[in-house]
Amino acid sequence: MDDRPDGDPSRTARTAAVKATYERIATHFAATREYAWPEVKSFVADCPPGRVGLDLGCGNCRHAELLATRTDRVVGLDLSRGLLATGRTRARERGFDDQLDLLEGDAATLPLASDTIDLAVYVATLHHLPTRETRIASLAALERVLAPGGRALVSAWSTAHPTFDGHDEGFDTTVDWTLPGGDPVARFYHIYDPDEFDADLEQSGLSVRECTVSSGNCYAVVESR
Amino acid sequence: MNESLLEILRCPLDKAELTLEDAEYDGDEIVSGTLVCTECGERYPIEDGIPNLLPPDMREGTPA
Repeated sequence: MDDRPDGDPSRTARTAAVKATYERIATHFAATREYAWPEVKSFVADCPPGRVGLDLGCGNCRHAELLATRTDRVVGLDLSRGLLATGRTRARERGFDDQLDLLEGDAATLPLASDTIDLAVYVATLHHLPTRETRIASLAALERVLAPGGRALVSAWSTAHPTFDGHDEGFDTTVDWTLPGGDPVARFYHIYDPDEFDADLEQSGLSVRECTVSSGNCYAVVESR
Repeated sequence: MNESLLEILRCPLDKAELTLEDAEYDGDEIVSGTLVCTECGERYPIEDGIPNLLPPDMREGTPA
């Protein structure tokens, strides 16, 4: 397998732009992301315990914290070093830092060995990847790293959200993040049509156990094939 | 990063294993060093205990 992104400078530049955005807003963004999502809580609670957990796009590690209740160790991976720093602070404050390893990386070129992850969450991150090709590549990478019997929860923002009334197909957009003081920072999103979400999962090779739409997000519980 | 993480880290480019060079430790924690791909030779820094395994052209300071 070779994920060298050299052939697509546009994808690389666009991913770098997403990274730059989150480096800029990291501290404020993380402070507004205090609580784990209920959908993630119930997913993690239903999963069998395992050895290694993965929070892909971990941000401030609020979901890594949940994974740490089910797995011996947790890897928190994010594109933004600024967000990883907020994750480290949370882990120290809440006492799961001895189980957590942080990793600066890209979800489409996941730098982890195959068949090593027992439990993963890939929540509210997929929609920041700049092209369909990279989004499917990241789902295929998740399939590759999941251990046999391992399970993951994938979510993305969808056209089912009231904000996107009037859209019945997936589309690219930017959503502003407003920093204290009023500076808006544009963030790239691909808003998924639920059928398109299913199609991308299918194409990635992941095996889908369950697919739902909740609070305007598409969710899928997936396994490796 | 804990030393045990090395077992599951791979090069983002070719998924080959990495070897650790110039490591500095604080107990079991690796606080700095360099991860080198056993296949393509690409070098990835560990800074402040966090490995940077972004593909080289996505690293900070790399012109996009």
